Amino acid sequence: MRVGGAARLRRDGIALAVVTVIYVGLAASVHNSYYQLMLTLVPIWAVLGLGWNLFSGMSGLVSFGHAAFFGIGAYVVTLALVYWNLTPWIGIPLGMLAGAVAGGLIGLPTFRLRGHYFALSMLAYPLAILYVFEYLGFQEVPLPMHRDHPALFLQFNNPLLSTLVAVGLFVAAMIAGMLVENSRFGLALLAIRQNELAAEAAGLDTWRWKMRGLIASGAIAAAAGGLYACVLLIVTPDSVFSVLVSAQALVVTLFGGVATVWGPAIGAAVLIPLAETLNAKLGNIIPGIQGVVYGVAIIAIMLAAPEGLFWTFRDRFFRRAPALPPIRARAPPPAVRAEAGILLDVRGLSKSFGGLRAVQDVTFTVGAGEILGIIGPNGAGKTTLFNLLNGVLRADAGAAVFAGTELRGRKVHQVARRGVGRTFQVVRSFPRLSLLENVIVGAYGAGLDDTAAAGAAEAALEAVGLADRAARPAGELTNKGLRLMELARALAGSPRLLLLDETLAGLGREECDELLTVLRGLRERGVTIVIIEHTMHAMLRLADRFLVLDHGRVLAEGAPHAVMENPAVIEAYLGSKFLARQHA
Amino acid sequence: MPATTTIGRRTALGLGLASLGRPALAAAKPVKIGMLMPFTGPWAREGILERLGAEMAIAGVNAAGGIRALGGAQLILVPYDTQDTAERAKDGATRMIADHPDLIAGIGCWLSTFTLAATEVSERAKLPWLTHGYSDAITARGFHYVFDTSAPASYQAAHTVPAMLAMARAAGKHPTKVAIIGDNTAASVSFTKPLRTHVLKDLGLKLVLDETYTPPLADASGLVQPLRAAGADFLLLASSNVPDDKLLLDALHEFGLSGHLPALTEGGHMVAPEVVQTTGTHIVQGMMAVVTNWPGPGTGPLVERFMKRTKEPWMGQESIFAYGHIMLLRYLLEHGAAATKPGIAQGLRRIDITDGPARYFPGHRLQFDAKGLRVGATLVIVQWQGGKPVSVYPPDTATSKAIWA
Repeated sequence: MRVGGAARLRRDGIALAVVTVIYVGLAASVHNSYYQLMLTLVPIWAVLGLGWNLFSGMSGLVSFGHAAFFGIGAYVVTLALVYWNLTPWIGIPLGMLAGAVAGGLIGLPTFRLRGHYFALSMLAYPLAILYVFEYLGFQEVPLPMHRDHPALFLQFNNPLLSTLVAVGLFVAAMIAGMLVENSRFGLALLAIRQNELAAEAAGLDTWRWKMRGLIASGAIAAAAGGLYACVLLIVTPDSVFSVLVSAQALVVTLFGGVATVWGPAIGAAVLIPLAETLNAKLGNIIPGIQGVVYGVAIIAIMLAAPEGLFWTFRDRFFRRAPALPPIRARAPPPAVRAEAGILLDVRGLSKSFGGLRAVQDVTFTVGAGEILGIIGPNGAGKTTLFNLLNGVLRADAGAAVFAGTELRGRKVHQVARRGVGRTFQVVRSFPRLSLLENVIVGAYGAGLDDTAAAGAAEAALEAVGLADRAARPAGELTNKGLRLMELARALAGSPRLLLLDETLAGLGREECDELLTVLRGLRERGVTIVIIEHTMHAMLRLADRFLVLDHGRVLAEGAPHAVMENPAVIEAYLGSKFLARQHA
Repeated sequence: MPATTTIGRRTALGLGLASLGRPALAAAKPVKIGMLMPFTGPWAREGILERLGAEMAIAGVNAAGGIRALGGAQLILVPYDTQDTAERAKDGATRMIADHPDLIAGIGCWLSTFTLAATEVSERAKLPWLTHGYSDAITARGFHYVFDTSAPASYQAAHTVPAMLAMARAAGKHPTKVAIIGDNTAASVSFTKPLRTHVLKDLGLKLVLDETYTPPLADASGLVQPLRAAGADFLLLASSNVPDDKLLLDALHEFGLSGHLPALTEGGHMVAPEVVQTTGTHIVQGMMAVVTNWPGPGTGPLVERFMKRTKEPWMGQESIFAYGHIMLLRYLLEHGAAATKPGIAQGLRRIDITDGPARYFPGHRLQFDAKGLRVGATLVIVQWQGGKPVSVYPPDTATSKAIWA
C-alpha cells in the first residue's frame, strides 16, 4: 500500500459506490431498448479503458493494440459457447486467462522496444490476429441463442440485467485499478512512465513490472471483450480486433484522464452516449456527420482539458495537498555502515560505439567515504563511464568491482540493489505525487516493504532537508528542490556509492552551496560519492580527488588543485587560451 | 409464364372478398415496414438500390389505394442505416425496433454479416425479418422469425459449376479445365473452398490455376498473366468489390482473354453499372455473374417503370428483391394476415404460392421451410451483353441466350 493509500481507497470506494447506485438507478428508469443498450456499452468500454490505463496510462508505454486482448476475450467467450456450450460466466474468466497469457506472449518480444516503436509494434498484434481469425474461418460467429436459460448464458430478456452485469464488471475493474494505483505496483509503473532508466537505476526491475502490468491489463481488456461479445451477440474479427477498438481504449482514457481509474469511467460516460446519440440523431439525416461532430467534440475538449477532464476539474476545484501523515520528528538517518578501504575498483574499462571509442582502458579506484570528482570536456565519456558502471551499457572489456562483487554483466536494477545509487542529468519527477511518494520509489527499489520504504523515504528527505515539504506535490519544486529530491530518491535505497551526474547543473551560486552542504553531510554519514560536474568552483570545494577524462581516456588523476595545475588538463579541459593566459 | 398479368386470379379474388368484408375506413392506420440497409459506407450503393425497389413497390401499393383488406391502409417504409460494421448494424436494428415498436416486419441488411447481427436483435423482438442474405448461417441458428428468400451460399457453391457446364453443353462445348482467381474475404472463401475441395473433382474437372489475393488489388496483371499458359476452359472469379473487378477485367482484356475465355464471378457487384462505366462495353462483354435474383421474362413493364422512376440504367438483384419483399408483405396483408408482428410471422410460415409476388423470385415459388429458407430458391446467371447485364440461366428466368465464347 502506498503512502496515504488507505485514505484514498476509502474515498474512491465511497465515490464508486455512489456513482454505481446513481447509474443503476438511471438504468432502471430507462425503457427504450436502444438507450438500455447504450447504458450497457458505457461500462464495457470503461472497462477496456481501465485495462488500457492500468498498463499504458500508468507506465506511459502507449499501446495501440489493446484490441488484441479485447478480441481474444470476445472470441474465447464466443467459441467456448459455440463449441463447448460453455456459459460466459466461465467463458469470461477463461477469456481473461487467455488475455493474460497473450499479454505475456506479446510483452516478451515487445518490451525490447521503447517509445514510438513500442506503440507501433503493439498496433500490429491485433491486425495480425484479425487475419488469423479470418483464415481460421471465424468471420462471423453468432452466439447460439439460449432461450431456456437466459441468466445462465447472459442472454437476458430484460436489458437492465445486461446493464447490471456490465456495471458489476466495471466495479470489479475499478477496484482492481484502485488497488494497483495505491500499491507499489502502481508507483513502479508511474516511475517507469516518468523515466524508465531512472526507475531501473533506483533498483526497480522495470521489465518485471511492465510484464505484470501488461498481463493484468490484458486480462481486464479481455473481460471487456468477453462481455461485449455477449451484448453484440455476433462476433466478427473486424468488430473486436479493429484499430477502432484500440483507439476506443485510448480515446476514453485520454479524454477522461490518464493514470487515474476515474479517467476511463468519465471518458466512457461522456463519449459513448455522445457518439451513439449523434449516430442515431444525425447519422440518418446527413450520413457521416456524426463522425465529424464527434471528432470536433473530442478536439475541443482536449484543447480545453489537455490532461483529460478528471485532472482539469481536480486542478481547478479540488487543488490541495494530498492527505499524508506528518513526517515523524526524528527520522532515522539512512543506514550506512562506515567502511574503510577501496569500495570501487575499476580496471581497464572500455566501450566502443562502432569506430568511436567512448571509454578506453579506464582504470581508477574509489575509496570508501571518498568524494571523487570526474571532470572532462563534453564528449569525454563521463556519462558513458557511469552507464558502464551501473549496467545501462555493457562494457567491451575491463572490470568494475564494487565491494567485492563484479558489476559488469549485471542489469541496472541489480547494480542498484547492490548499493549503487545514481542520479541523472535531467531530473524527472511525478509532478502530481507528493515528494514522499516521489522518493519512495527508490526505497521500493531497494526491496523494502511498505512501512520500511516509507521510513527510508522520510529519512532520505530529512537528509537532503526537504522533510518539511514531504507532503507537497513535486510539481511545486524549484530546480534546486528537484535536484535535492532526486538525490533523496537515490538515497532512499540506502546506497553505499552514489553516482551523481551533473547534480549542480543550472543552479545559482547560493543554491549550489546549499547542495554542497547536503553532499558533504552525506559523506559524513559514510556515503561514497562519485560526481560528474562542470561547475569547477564547486568541484574544487567538494571533491577529495579528481579524475580527468578526455577522449575516453584517463588524462590525469589526483588532488584537485594539483590536477587543475596540470597543463595537459588545462589545455584539454579549459582550452589552450586559458593556458596561454595563465602563462602570460 | 404469362407476361401481362399483374395480379393473379387468387389474389384478385382475395382482394375482392377482403374489400367486401371490410368497408374502407377513412383513416386506416398506416402499416410500417422497417428497412435496415447500408445507406452509408462501402455498401451504400446496394442499400440504396434496395430502397429504390422498396419505395417503388410502396408507392405503387399506396397509389392503388393502399391495403384494401385494412381499409386502404397506407404502407410506410421506415429506413435505418446499418453503416459499415456489424455492431453498427446491430445498433441500427436496436434503434429501429426501439423507435418503432409497431413495425410489422423488417427487411435487410444486404450484407450477410450485417444481417446476422441485426437478426440477433429482430429475433429477440419477434419481428418477422425478410432477407436475401447468402450466408447459410442466417437460417442455421434455429430462429423462428427470419425468412431468407435467396438461395444460400452452399447451394450456389454446389450449383454454379453445374450451371456453367449446362450452359457450355448448350453451346456445344465440353470444358474440362478450370481456373480460379479469388480474394480471401469471407464470401469469396465460402464460394471457392467447396470448389477446391470436392465440387470440381466430383464433376470431373481439373483445376489448372488457383490464385488467391488480398483485396484491394493494386494491379491484376500478375494474377491474370498465368491464365494464358494454364489453358483453362473457363474461369471462376471470386472477387468482392467493383474496384477489384475493374482491375481484373482490364487485365483480362489486356491479355486478350476477355470475350475468349468464359468467365463467371460470384456476386452482383460484377454486374453493377459502375463496372461498365469504368471499363467499357467491349471489355465487360461476355462476363457472367452468379446472383440469386434478376428480373426475368414478364417483368419488362416493371423494369421500365423502375428505370423511368429512378434513372437507373436497369433493375438488378437488389431492387427486384426489395420490390418482391414488399409485394410479399402486401400479399399477406391482403390475404388475412393481421398487421402485427405475429400476424406476418404466421403468414410467412404458412404461405405457399406460385403466382402473385412469387413471380419476383427465381423458381417462382413462395414457401418457407422450417429453417426459414425459401423452398425452390435457385441461382441466376447474368451476363454482360452489349453493355447491359441480362439473365441467361436458368432457362425459365433467362431473357437472353448465353454467349459461350
